[in-house]
Amino acid sequence: MRRLLDRLYLWSGYLGALFIVAICVAMVGQSILREMGVRTGAVNDVVSWFCAAAAFFTMAHAFKHGDFVRVTLMLESASPANRRRLELVSLFIGSVATAYLAWSACLFTYESWEFNDMAQGMLPMPLWIPQLSFAFGAVLLWVAVVDELQLVLRGETPTFVRAVEERHAKGDFSSDI
Amino acid sequence: MTTLAIGGLLLFIMLLLLSGGVWIAMTLAICGWVGQAFFTSTQPGKNLFSAFWESNASWELAALPLFVWMGEILFRTKLSEEMFEGLRPWLNRIPGRLMHTTVLGCGIFGSVSGSSAATCATISKVALPELMKRGYDEKIALGSLATAGTLGILIPPSITMVVYAVAADASIIRIFLAGFLPGFLLMALFSGYIIWWSLRHPEKVPAADPPSTFMEKIKQSGNLIPCGALIVFVCWVLIAGYATATECAAYGVVGSLALALWSRSLTWENFWEGLMGTTRTSCMIMFILAGAAFLTKTMAFTGIPRELADWVNSMQLSPIALIAVLTVVYLILGTALDGISMIVLTSAVVLPMIQKAGFDLIWFGIFIVLLVEIAEVTPPVGFNLFVLQNMTGKDSNTIAKAAIPFFMCLVVCIVLITVFPQIVTYLPDVVMGADK
Repeated sequence: MRRLLDRLYLWSGYLGALFIVAICVAMVGQSILREMGVRTGAVNDVVSWFCAAAAFFTMAHAFKHGDFVRVTLMLESASPANRRRLELVSLFIGSVATAYLAWSACLFTYESWEFNDMAQGMLPMPLWIPQLSFAFGAVLLWVAVVDELQLVLRGETPTFVRAVEERHAKGDFSSDI
Repeated sequence: MTTLAIGGLLLFIMLLLLSGGVWIAMTLAICGWVGQAFFTSTQPGKNLFSAFWESNASWELAALPLFVWMGEILFRTKLSEEMFEGLRPWLNRIPGRLMHTTVLGCGIFGSVSGSSAATCATISKVALPELMKRGYDEKIALGSLATAGTLGILIPPSITMVVYAVAADASIIRIFLAGFLPGFLLMALFSGYIIWWSLRHPEKVPAADPPSTFMEKIKQSGNLIPCGALIVFVCWVLIAGYATATECAAYGVVGSLALALWSRSLTWENFWEGLMGTTRTSCMIMFILAGAAFLTKTMAFTGIPRELADWVNSMQLSPIALIAVLTVVYLILGTALDGISMIVLTSAVVLPMIQKAGFDLIWFGIFIVLLVEIAEVTPPVGFNLFVLQNMTGKDSNTIAKAAIPFFMCLVVCIVLITVFPQIVTYLPDVVMGADK
C-alpha cells in the first residue's frame, strides 16, 4: 500500500511535468504556425487547460515533497511534543479542507458532464474533459493529506518536513523562490 | 455584524491558522469559505470549484511555469562561472574591484532568471569562493550577495511580477518593462556603496589581479556571450513580433536548453531534476493563487475591500502616509511570509485601496517587489539569508547584519521611486504608450 501510494503521487507529478513540457511545445508551435499564416486561436484554450492540469496533477506530489509553503516560525520554536500537536492540528484541518475541495471538484466536474457544458473559446470541447485533471488531482491531494495525518498519528515525522530538511542539508534551494 | 467586523473576524481566523502552520493556500481558501458560508447567500462549493478552475486554467498564467523552468535550467549550467570570468578583467581599476562582480553578476543573471533565491545561490556559488580566495572582506561580500540576489525578482523576467500581474489583473509586459530602471538604480546604489566603502577602507581591498592587455580583456569577455546571446534572443523574438510576452517564456526555455546543451552541462538527470523542481514550484504558486482567487470571490460578495477603501479614504491620509503605513504592514508581513504569499494574500484588499488613493497599479507592483526584496534579507525568515547560511555555514543573523548597508540601499530606492514615480512609469509609457 505504501509503495503503491508513493508511486501514485510521483507518477501523477510526472504527468504534471509532461503538461509543462506540452505548454512549452504548444507555445513555440503556435508562434511558428502563426508566422506561416495558420489561425491558432484554439491553442490558447488548450494551453490554459494544460496549465491547470500541470498544477492539479502535481498537488499531491508537491505537498508530500514539502513544497507547499506555510509559516514555520511557531512550529520551529515549539518543543517536539508541541510541534507534533501543531502538525496534527494542521493536518486535521488540512484533511477536512482538502476533502471539501475534492468533493466540490468531483461534484461540479460531474455536473459539467451531466449538463454537457462546452468550452466558450475557439475550441468547442466538453469542459468535463480538462476538468477531470482537477477532480483527479484534488482527490489525490486529499489522499496524500490523510496519508500524512495517519503517519504523524503513528508517531512519524511528516514526510514534507523530512524532505525539506534533506534538501536543504544537500544545499539544494532550487525549489525555493 | 458590520462589514468591517466580518473583515476583522476573517483576518483573525487567517492569522490564527497561518501562525499555527496550516498551509497558506488552504488558509486562504478556508477564510474564503467561512466568509461565504456564514455571511453571504451564495453556494461556497460551486464558487470554490470555479475559483480554482478559472484561476489555474489561464493562458497568462502558463508563462509562470516556463519562467520557473528557465531559471532551473540555467541554475544547472556553467553560466555563473563564465560570467565571473567575463566580468573580472574590467573591474580592476574601480574601487572595490572584484567585489562588484556580486552586484553585476546578480544583475545580469537576474535578467535571465525570475527568482531571487536562485540568483543568490547561482552567483554566490562562484563569486564567494573566488572573492575569499583573493582576500576580499567577507562581510561586504556576504551582505552584497544576499541583497543583490534579490535583483532576480526586480529585473525581468520575474516570477514575483508574473504573480502580481495575475493577482492585480495588470499587463505582464508592462510591469516587466517597469522593472528595468529601478533595477539599474538599485545596482548603481549597491555599487556606489561598495565604492564608498572601499575608498574609506583601502587597506581591506586586496591588490588587483595582474593587469591584462585590452585584447585579453576582450577575449575573456567572450565568456559573457552565452548569457548575452540568450537575453538578445528572447528580446528579439519579442520585439520582432514573433512571440507575445507569454510565448517569450517558451522561447526563453528553448534558448536556455540550447545554451545548456552547447556548454555540455545538460544531462538527462539534470533535465529531469530541473523539470520536476519546476513542476512542484509552479504547482505551489498556482495552488496559492487558486486559494486566493476563492478568497477574492468572498471579498467581492461581502464588499469588505470597498468598505475598507472607503474607510481609509475617509481618514484623509495623504498618499505618502498611506504608502508609509503599507510599508510598515509589508515589513511586518515579510518577517513571516514569503514574497508570493505576501502579494497574493494582500492583493484583494490592498489593491482597491491603492487605486482609490490614485496610485498606478504598475508602480505599486514595483513598490511591492522592492518590499519583497527587503523581506528576503530580513530575519527571521529572509530567504536569501537562509541560502547563504547554508552555503557558508555562517549564522543567518551575522549575514543579516552584514546586509544592513545594502538593506539601506533598498530603502533609499523605495524612497526614490516614491518621490519620482517616473523612474518606474517612464519605460512602459515610452515603449507601450501611456496607460489609459
